[in-house]
Order: sequence, then structure tokens, then C-alpha cells
Amino acid sequence: MRRLFDPIALASLVFAFSLLLAWQLFADAHLISPIFFPSPLHTLAVLEHRLADGSLWLPLAATSLRMTFGWLLASVIGIVLGAAIGSSRVARDLLDPILEFIRPLPASAVIPVAILFLGLSNAMSVAVIAFGAIWPVLLASVHGFSSVPPELANVSQVLGFGRADYLRKIAFPSALPDIVAGLRVSLAIALILAVVTEMQSSLPGLGWDIFSAQRLYRSADLYAGLVMLALLGFGANHMIMLLESRVLRWRNVRT
Amino acid sequence: MRRLLLGAIIPVLLLGAWEISSRTGLLTLESLSRPSDILVAGYAALTDGSLLLATVQTCETALLGLMMAAVFGIVLGAVLGLLPTAERIAGPTIEALRPIPAIAFMPLALMVFGFGVGLEASIVAYACVWPILIVTIAAVRAIEGRLLEVAAVLELPVWKKMVKIVLPAAFARINVGLRVAAAISLVVAVTVEIVLNPRGLGYRLILAEQALEIGLMWAQLVWLCLLGYVLNLLLSRVGRGSAAIWRPL
Amino acid sequence: MQALRKNPVAVRPVEASLSALSISKLRVRFGARTILEAINLNVRPGEFVCIVGSSGSGKTTLLRVLAGLARADHGRVLFDGAEISGPSCERAIIFQDYSKALLPWRTVRGNVALSLEARNVPAKEQDAIIDELLAKMGLSRAREQFPAQLSGGMQQRVQIARCLAQEPKLLLMDEPFGALDAMTRQVLQDEILQLVAEKHISTVFITHDLEEAIYLGDRVVVLGNSPATIVESMDIELPRPRDQLTTREDGRFLAYRHRLFGLLVHDRSERRGQC
Repeated sequence: MRRLFDPIALASLVFAFSLLLAWQLFADAHLISPIFFPSPLHTLAVLEHRLADGSLWLPLAATSLRMTFGWLLASVIGIVLGAAIGSSRVARDLLDPILEFIRPLPASAVIPVAILFLGLSNAMSVAVIAFGAIWPVLLASVHGFSSVPPELANVSQVLGFGRADYLRKIAFPSALPDIVAGLRVSLAIALILAVVTEMQSSLPGLGWDIFSAQRLYRSADLYAGLVMLALLGFGANHMIMLLESRVLRWRNVRT
Repeated sequence: MRRLLLGAIIPVLLLGAWEISSRTGLLTLESLSRPSDILVAGYAALTDGSLLLATVQTCETALLGLMMAAVFGIVLGAVLGLLPTAERIAGPTIEALRPIPAIAFMPLALMVFGFGVGLEASIVAYACVWPILIVTIAAVRAIEGRLLEVAAVLELPVWKKMVKIVLPAAFARINVGLRVAAAISLVVAVTVEIVLNPRGLGYRLILAEQALEIGLMWAQLVWLCLLGYVLNLLLSRVGRGSAAIWRPL
Repeated sequence: MQALRKNPVAVRPVEASLSALSISKLRVRFGARTILEAINLNVRPGEFVCIVGSSGSGKTTLLRVLAGLARADHGRVLFDGAEISGPSCERAIIFQDYSKALLPWRTVRGNVALSLEARNVPAKEQDAIIDELLAKMGLSRAREQFPAQLSGGMQQRVQIARCLAQEPKLLLMDEPFGALDAMTRQVLQDEILQLVAEKHISTVFITHDLEEAIYLGDRVVVLGNSPATIVESMDIELPRPRDQLTTREDGRFLAYRHRLFGLLVHDRSERRGQC
């Protein structure tokens, strides 16, 4: 049965549109201040204009790149460290307490430290992003690597696999569902921190775009920036879901 | 006991190496300071009240935002949870708004509220509402159908049904969402203070950095870690003992 | 040895040579508790030994020691004349919980290939070996499926196929058919008898099911008391090939069954007395 005319889906679109419509009407009737809440049409016009003249692509690219690099760095370190900690009781006893202590620190709090070491640079931004984004991946990896079914570990021993083969063929694939879930949360954090570091350090990007739009009271630009940010967040999440469905194909098969 | 000792090895070694190499001149980065100096600065900040004042400021704003998010999130979540059609209609709009980081709204909030508590609390509220909302919807949906039938048979008015049946039944899961949101609230509050708001622990951190009071800056970082750690500890304790809230109702 | 047909199982050779597996004075402790005490057992090459005993009597522990996955506190285990010092490809172990013992992210083919990878069989040769094994286990059609898509019986077959791909000399099975329905169990019982006879693999088989033990085994060893010792070792003089209908109706089968029941009831009441 074709789902083209699913009434609920239609209703949800109508709902979203009516919110925008109400906003537009309020704005037109000057019931809400155009300074703070420019009408959707105005925002759309600005968005169109800036997409056409290219002034939104650079910030978008900059934020995306920072977010991605920071996330990749966090992922690699997180998975490697997680593998080491998750598969060794000693490593866990040694490292757990100190990690538990550092974890609750808001990543943005290390921005001043990062600025002292690295200045107001892209390196600073990527470092802060990596610091904040590593936790979900690390915790998920530790959990994944320490939950390999003992039967599989035994099979590995009986077959005579060394540590490297065990990690590669058995532990890592076994931990992968957990790791991917962690990667997803990490990516969301990476986006947030990219925006924060941009606002803090005036590095070109969507965060800074929104920040400076506010300074100039150009609220339509501000909203346009928010829309781009929403799209970036949505797109990034979608990429992970695609990755997940590829890599974890075996989870979705039905008997 | 053994775990305590093992866990202390690395921190003690690191701190010791840090202290020694700073004193002997092996490590000379100005941005690094020394554990002993950090302790001194931290002690000073504690005793002169500045650290505690900033902590109170941050915590009260975070709490305010959290409460606003809780009220809005639980009420809306309960409604959407009970009316699955409404939830599916509102779904895409929620999914469209959710990926926008709360801190992206800082400039907007600044325009509307100016500097101060409002700015910070509103951002905290926006950030915290999502986990609470989502968890509440799931929790309400998972309520045993029979409980709702009982409510119908007793012909309870809507608000009584909510308070006496729906919310207590969904409480355990909502609680988990609240704990997640509480942790988020602190992080977001500090972030807003670092970037914009001249108030609280985040602001003090920036001040120390700009004044190049490195020892104080590191001490504040340690303080933040401690704060977060204690908060997490409290939250897990609270999680265990809080079902009693619903008894008087 | 006779060539294999579909059903008949080759007659077991009576070998007077060295035992394949020799356990002497085995003692295994877990903390302060002694689980196994004074275990002495010899398994001839190609022999099928079944171990029965009440729950918690240490059967699995014994199997794990034989597999090299657990250490004994006292005594010796010799396999092929050499002392066991750890796990080895030659001693394959089949776990009861097949869902946890298979790699869910690999297909049936991939799971069997794991053993070949461990033996460093070149990739080009792997497919032929795997296809032959799958055909033998009736898994050819499931080749590209994931374990989650298979029934319990099929999953257990995959585990067996993977173990056979190790080319083991000793097969250790820990209640492998316990979670399966009666029909599947019977089919797999006959299949396993055929397979180990064909390859002349010595087998140690743990089961709760007394009738299964008698049906499958050349010998049934009863583990009992606490700490567990070998209460009895019963030779099964039933003709091979075994048959699900006629063997189970044989008078001797019933006699063995009586004896085993008696032993285990006795053991159970002794244990109760101890509690």
C-alpha cells in the first residue's frame, strides 16, 4: 500500500507549516518585535540571498570541517583507549578513577586553557572539540570491549588467536554496536563545541556568523545561521545512521 | 581498598612529576603553573568567598533553567505520551528543532534578555527540555493500559488522572531523564558564562585566564571537576530514594 | 573402516594402543571449594564418552580443564601423550549457548571460515573446504545468512561445522542439544555420531539426558558427590550403528537406564542429606 498520502504525515507537515504561518502573521501584524523575531519569509529571503552569493558556504564548510576533525580525533583516541581499558582489568583499575574525575568537567571549561596553549586558532577549536567528544566514544568502547561474550573469548583462545587477531576479528566487531552508538552522541557534542569555540574565538564559522549577526542586530541573518546549523546537525546525524546501517547490517536482518 | 590504591597511582605520579619538573626547571611553560601554586590559589579563592559565590550563582541559574525545562517537558511529554496521534503530528517539528545546539541561541537570548540570569536560564532550559520531553513521552507510553482504565472507571478529571496515576507510574523513567538533564544544566550554564555571561564560575574562569592568574585558573578547573563529580554522586543517590515524593499525593 | 553411506555408522575399531586422553588424580578448586576430586579417566582414540551427573556437579568444569580453559590444582591431563598446558585447536569445544558462541556479524560461511583463518589456510582454498563442510551439515542453503536468521538447531550445526573445520582430534561438547526440541535433538544426535566416526574423533559429551548418554556413548561416566568424583563408569555394549527406534527399545538399553537412574537418585538423596 503506497504511503504517499499517509494522513498523519500530512498532518505533521500542516502542523509545522501552521506554526510558521502563525509566526509570519504575528510578524506582519507587528505583534512581535521584528528585531527579535523576523518573519519566516524575511529569514527565507536572507537565506536564499546568502546561499546565492556564497557567504553561507564558507562558514558552513568551516564549522563542518572543525566538527569532523575533532570528532575523528576523539573517535580514534576513544576507541583505542577504550579497547585498552575494556580488555584489561588492570588498566581499568588504574585509569578509571582519574577518568571519572575529569569526565564531569564541561568541555567548554578547557577553552581558556586551550587558548593559552594554542591561541585563538583552529587547533584550539579541534582540541577542545576532541576533549569533549571523546567521552561518549570512550565510555561506549570500554563497555563494548569489556562485554565480549566469554564464549567468544574462549573460542578465540581455543583457535589460538593472538591478542591482535582477537581484537581485530572478535572484540572490535563485538563492541561495534556500542561504539557506533557512542560515535553518534560524540558527533552531536562535536557540533555543539564547534559552535561554542567559534563564538568564543571569532573563528570563521556558523557560530561566529550567528554571534556577529547579533552584534549588528541583523536577526534575519541570525535565524538563517540557525537554520543552516539545524541542517548541518540533521545531515551529520543522518550520515551516522547511514554508517550504522552499513556496518551493522547484521543486526537488522529478520529471521 | 586495593582499587583505591591502584586508582591513586597515576594521579599521584603525574602530580609528583609535574611538581618536580616545574621546580627543577624542566617544565617552563607559563601556562602550566605548579600543583603547589594551584593549591595555594585554590585555597585563597575558597576562603575569600569568591569561589563559593560564583558556585552559588552558577548553580542557582542552572537549577532555574532545569526547573523550567522540567515543568514544560513533563507536562508536554505527558500530553504527547497519552495522545499518540498528537505526538506523531508534532514529531517532525520536534525532530527539526532538536539538533540545534542550545548554545546557538545565545545571541538571540542576549538580544531578548540582555546579560544576566534570564539569558543563562533560558539557554539551560532549552538544552534540558529535550531529554526530559523524550523520556517523559516514552515513560507515559509505557504505562500499563490497565492503570489508565482504572482512571477512566473512576471518572477522574484530567488533572487528577495525571497527578495520581500517570505521573507516579512514569516516575522512574522520568527520573532518569531528569538526572541526565541535571548534568546537562551545569555544563550548559558554565558554557554560557564562559562565552557570554559575566556571572558565575565560567566567568571567573575567563577572568583568571585573561589576568594570567594561571594557578587560580587551574584551581577553578579542579573545583569544576569536583563539583561535577559530587553532583553525579548526589544524582545517583537521589535516584534511589525519591519515589517517596509521590506519597502525599 | 567402512565407507560412509547416508545412515550406517562405521564400526568402532577396538584399539589397544595408548589412550588419546588420560586424566589422572585431577583435583580442581574454586577458591576454598573443591569442585572435582580424584578424577581418573582414560579415553581411547575414537571413543565416545558421555558424562552425566546432577546440576552443579562439576561436569562443565571438567570439560573446561580438558579444553585447556581452566587449570587443575592437582593431577595431570595428557592428550596424545603430551601434557595439556592451555587451549589448542586440536581440542574443540562446543558450547551449550550457541547464540553466544557464534559471531553474529559474520555469515554462516564467515563463521566456519574463522577456524580456517586460525589454521592459516590460504583464502583460495577456504571456499572449497567450507562448502564441503556446509553440505555435510546440511547448511548449504544458509551459507550467506546470519546466525540470527537461523533456528536453534541450525545455529548449533554452524557451531559444529566451525569446530569440525578446526580438524580436531578431541571434541568436547557441553550439553549441546539441551536447548533444542526433541526432534531436532534426535536428528543431530545421529549426525554427530556419523561425523565423529567418519573422522575418528575422540569425544567427551556432557548431558543431563540419561537416555541421550546411553544412546550416544561407548561409555557413560557418572559424576557425583560433592566434591565430584567418578561414581561409576559404565561400558555401553549396544550395537552400532545406533538407531533411534530399535536401540532405545533394546533390553540392555533399559537396563543401563535403570542403573543410571538408580545412581543419580542415590546421589541426589545423599546431597540432600548433606544440606
